[in-house]
Amino acid sequence: MPSSVIEVENLVKVYSGGTRAVDGISFHVGAGELLGFLGPNGAGKTTTIRILATLLAATSGAARVAGFDVTTQASDVRRRLGLAMQTPTLDTFATGRENIELIGRMHRVPRAELKRRTDELLELMGLTAVARKLAGTYSGGMRRRLDLACALVHRPQVLILDEPTEGLDPQSRIALWDELERISQDGTTMLLTTHYMEEADRLCNRVAIIDNGRIVVDGSPADLKAGIGADTVTLQLDANGPEDLARQQEDVRGLLRGFGSLESVTPEPFGVRLAIRDAGRAIPELMRRLDGNGRVVHVIGLAVGQPSLDDVFVKYTGRRIRAEAADHPIILGW
Amino acid sequence: MIRDFFYEAWFLSLRTLRRFFRVPANWIGIILFPLIQLFVFSQLFKDIIQLPGFRSSGSGSYLAYLAPGQIAFTAFFAVAWSGSAILVEYRNGYMDKLRATPIYRTSILVGELAPLFIESAIMAGGILALSVVLGATIKTGLIGAALILVLSGLFGMAWAGTSFVPALLTKSEQATGTLSLLFFPIAFMSTAFVPPALMPRWLQTVNSWNPITFLIEAIRPLMVSGYDWAAIGKALVAIAVLGLVLQSATLWAFRRLTA
Ligand SMILES: Nc1ncnc2c1ncn2[C@@H]1O[C@H](COP(=O)(O)OP(=O)(O)O)[C@@H](O)[C@H]1O
Ligand SMILES: [Mg+2]
Repeated sequence: MPSSVIEVENLVKVYSGGTRAVDGISFHVGAGELLGFLGPNGAGKTTTIRILATLLAATSGAARVAGFDVTTQASDVRRRLGLAMQTPTLDTFATGRENIELIGRMHRVPRAELKRRTDELLELMGLTAVARKLAGTYSGGMRRRLDLACALVHRPQVLILDEPTEGLDPQSRIALWDELERISQDGTTMLLTTHYMEEADRLCNRVAIIDNGRIVVDGSPADLKAGIGADTVTLQLDANGPEDLARQQEDVRGLLRGFGSLESVTPEPFGVRLAIRDAGRAIPELMRRLDGNGRVVHVIGLAVGQPSLDDVFVKYTGRRIRAEAADHPIILGW
Repeated sequence: MIRDFFYEAWFLSLRTLRRFFRVPANWIGIILFPLIQLFVFSQLFKDIIQLPGFRSSGSGSYLAYLAPGQIAFTAFFAVAWSGSAILVEYRNGYMDKLRATPIYRTSILVGELAPLFIESAIMAGGILALSVVLGATIKTGLIGAALILVLSGLFGMAWAGTSFVPALLTKSEQATGTLSLLFFPIAFMSTAFVPPALMPRWLQTVNSWNPITFLIEAIRPLMVSGYDWAAIGKALVAIAVLGLVLQSATLWAFRRLTA
């Protein structure tokens, strides 16, 4: 078995209209790994996923899933692939159970096993009570979970999810995260896309930031954030009016002159904001420095903030991801 | 290989049937119009049967003359918009979900088309039963009735191409709906309402090529006189030719869409 379950080399997709949706993407996903594609709308995430799922032909480049080429060995890929697209795709006139069973049958899950597996998935997704209701009557969260159950019915080796929590309320999102974590821990190799920082941070072993059809950086969330360098330390100062505050801010600057891991000092209405490398370790020494030499600095609050993937995204793309609806209309004839 | 294909088409067909019968509006919509025509026209034009041209049809009443045409109309209506379902699922991504499973692409199309045999046959059977309730007869009994359903089902499956081809080519439900209307005159110009003897010459010519007329003229003897194997044979040939042409075009359009 290859150590890389998904291998993508120099993938390019140019749509017939001329849009270069994917512009030379390469990446690998190891067995059991969970890779997250993080990027704004239009970055090329869905296009990449459609190519990997054998639904769209690449313009150039190569992609292998579970060791099989997505163009020349599409059915081998399909047999090992579980897929859930950006918007849940269900047969709304079929019940929850019927939806899962049909996909299971198309994957040739044997009859007895299918019954057992369907029961198990309905239970797992909390859909047992509504298993006999038409999927068209389900809420958004229930549709997502049913869609995921369909993707899992044949115990796929690789699970590909496009924006799995798009459009869910925060509560359902967190519940689904737990579910995805469990699936990942069972050893399924997973690729998911998202434009939610928190989601990538919480779920993924590795994150690839994708923008304008290219991967701009990839690594574990911790490494990416460490790459930002400094943590943010905010000091809240107790001052008697603006002049006193200004004096204290100047004093902080003076006291910390030459402090080893300090990168910057920025005055704020509440006090000062410091950028400090490895803040956790530097804080005791920092406090000692602030406490003395005749200058009076009244620190009444201190907070240490880790850099977020948001900061990582800004660093590499110069822009902030906006959380907006990820759907785009399909281009139609006539 | 062929077993795989039948397995997939079977389960996909069951799904299509479920989707059709679970929405009462589907079958009520199909049956309502022929039923109204049958009921109203048989009263309104009751005496038209006295006209000499009707005698050779063997129908004892205008209702008896009208019924075979309305059965054929039902099979026609059952599939007039049949292509829009596949379009909806192409658009909402369900077709992609199926395409991402290890099945033959063609199974998806067959799973949409094959059930139309059952849908058309059952809908036509509904009108057949209602026409008997209203006073029409089936001279050839149960076997004749079964034959009527089979002919209607086959016709529906073949005629469905008139909806599938525009749907798959235009990818637009509006366009599909509008283009379907273009086929309605073919139904109304058939021998559903008056026999060819009472038609102007050009309409007689149209009807010597009209597949709906062939269907109606095969059903009529089964209801009013007895087995007319020549008429049944002609209807089967007409349906086969129609089906071959339209369904080849459908297959081509489907492959083009999902390429
Ligand atoms: N079927 C299509 N035809 C033409 N352009 C498309 C099509 N699908 C997507 N695009 C374009 O390709 C780019 C990438 O889209 P997509 O892969 O959907 O991005 P993401 O999933 O990251 O939001 C966008 O500019 C989008 O408008
Ligand atoms: Mg997308």
